[in-house]
Amino acid sequence: MDHILITNNPLVKDKYQDRTALVFLEKSYLEVLCYARGEIHKGHELLTHPLSGSIKPNETPYKSLLVTNKPKALDYRSVTMIEDSIETTKKFFSIRDRTQGLRKDLLADFQEIDYHLIKGALESANK
Amino acid sequence: MKLKLGKIFIDDVKFGEVTKVENKTLFVNKEEMLEAIGGDEHIESIEIDITHPGDEVRITPVKDVIEPRVKVDGPGGIFPGMLSKVQTVGSGTTHALKNVAVVTAGKIVGFQEGIIDMSGPGAEYTPFSKTHNIVVVAHPIEGVKQYDHESAVRMIGFKAARYLGEVARELEADEIQEYETEPLLDSVKKYPDLPKIGYVYMLQTQGLLHDTYVYGVDAKKIVPTLLYPTEIMDGAIVSGNCVSACDKNPTYVHLNNGIIEDLYEKHGKEINFVGVIITNENVYLADKERSSDWTAKLTEFLGLDGVIVSQEGFGNPDTDLIMNCKKIEEKNIKTVIVTDEYAGRDGASQSLADADPKADAVITNGNANEVILLPPMKKIIGMTDYVDSIAGGFDGSLRADGSIEVEIQAITGATNETGFVKLTSKGY
Repeated sequence: MDHILITNNPLVKDKYQDRTALVFLEKSYLEVLCYARGEIHKGHELLTHPLSGSIKPNETPYKSLLVTNKPKALDYRSVTMIEDSIETTKKFFSIRDRTQGLRKDLLADFQEIDYHLIKGALESANK
Repeated sequence: MKLKLGKIFIDDVKFGEVTKVENKTLFVNKEEMLEAIGGDEHIESIEIDITHPGDEVRITPVKDVIEPRVKVDGPGGIFPGMLSKVQTVGSGTTHALKNVAVVTAGKIVGFQEGIIDMSGPGAEYTPFSKTHNIVVVAHPIEGVKQYDHESAVRMIGFKAARYLGEVARELEADEIQEYETEPLLDSVKKYPDLPKIGYVYMLQTQGLLHDTYVYGVDAKKIVPTLLYPTEIMDGAIVSGNCVSACDKNPTYVHLNNGIIEDLYEKHGKEINFVGVIITNENVYLADKERSSDWTAKLTEFLGLDGVIVSQEGFGNPDTDLIMNCKKIEEKNIKTVIVTDEYAGRDGASQSLADADPKADAVITNGNANEVILLPPMKKIIGMTDYVDSIAGGFDGSLRADGSIEVEIQAITGATNETGFVKLTSKGY
């Protein structure tokens, strides 16, 4: 296995914590991206798109993404992609933060969608 | 490959004792239609309603919109791989009921499906306010999983379109349009002086509720490939995408893709429209690299002079769009990209999540963050309980009088990235 799964989604944690290297963060969508940016600056390469899913970053609280597990030389493409994604996320939050106080059934739906987005990526990663 | 598309124009839709078309009115036997589309174990009950342009009606949450069509002559059947066998379609004769659409509605995920207003200011933002809509609301059984629910409603929509399309089988078309794409070498020989143009059709393929199917195959599993454009008119591509109402491509848009229609219009006159390359928008970055490499490779292999690239959705697909554009341009093939924008409420922010200097010819279909006030409607088909949580909505979106303040991203088809919209751009 040559990847680390970074997530704030408890469903993804439950599904994958026994099977894959995983960092679970009790943090916001934006903070997950910022954590990933830190890892990228340490030399980890981004393996999935940080803005996966058409659900806007100010709507869903959940984000899961994959980076390589062994740090190497800084990957500039990953740096650009995570920076662009953080900027886009901040733009949406400047309009309105809709991720607070969501009902339980909506949280469950958002968790399920985020889980399926990363599940597809892991199927590609584990080929 | 040549397809004759026979258009049957419908002026009205009513319930009746027999499902038929008479004097340009489509009559629908509700019981028979329910029988034809029902039976899924995940669905407890189905309601069918009819609504017309100008009605004070709001349909929400909308999942898919589908045009009824039937294959009259030639190989295969409508929606191959989904309802019909996987035989290659796109030749012979197909009949379409025009001005009519099946709309599937009902909550699947509580926040993403869209709004269609049949009158008022919101109606101006959706092309589906101009169709007579047969709305199918499917209620799931208790505890259904989201993917089973989505799949059931998706198939119910296709079955409804097939059931209604079947009435057009024996009808004489009001108008027949012929579309022909010859094998590449023949068309190049026939139009030696015209620029060879292709269409790169990006399909939403990120995962649950973000899926598209090609001949029944989940398109995130494909590598880019070639289709005759007429295959798409017979339902070779269908939507399983529930997310981002404004810029998802409902099945209706796949069947009536305006870029394909316009390229055919100019085919043999200004350009040689040689075909469609379909590609996907996956989450895994290596998939993106492979798909954009292959897309660029195919444009080169076909000897294209120019390419139009359209995307579906927001964020992640912006990267596929730019990768496709950049790699095709690097083959010295000109590109025009077709997208929409999330540029903030004032339209002043960066529009896309990715960019490149090579993307120097861009068509936008509107700013999805623009805010609109939708007045109350006399009748709701579906439910508005979730409007506060719909994409583009917010806490307090749904007001006590039934009016809704939302971003236009909540409106089905408002900023469709194939140009199947009313919005346009002007430079000042």
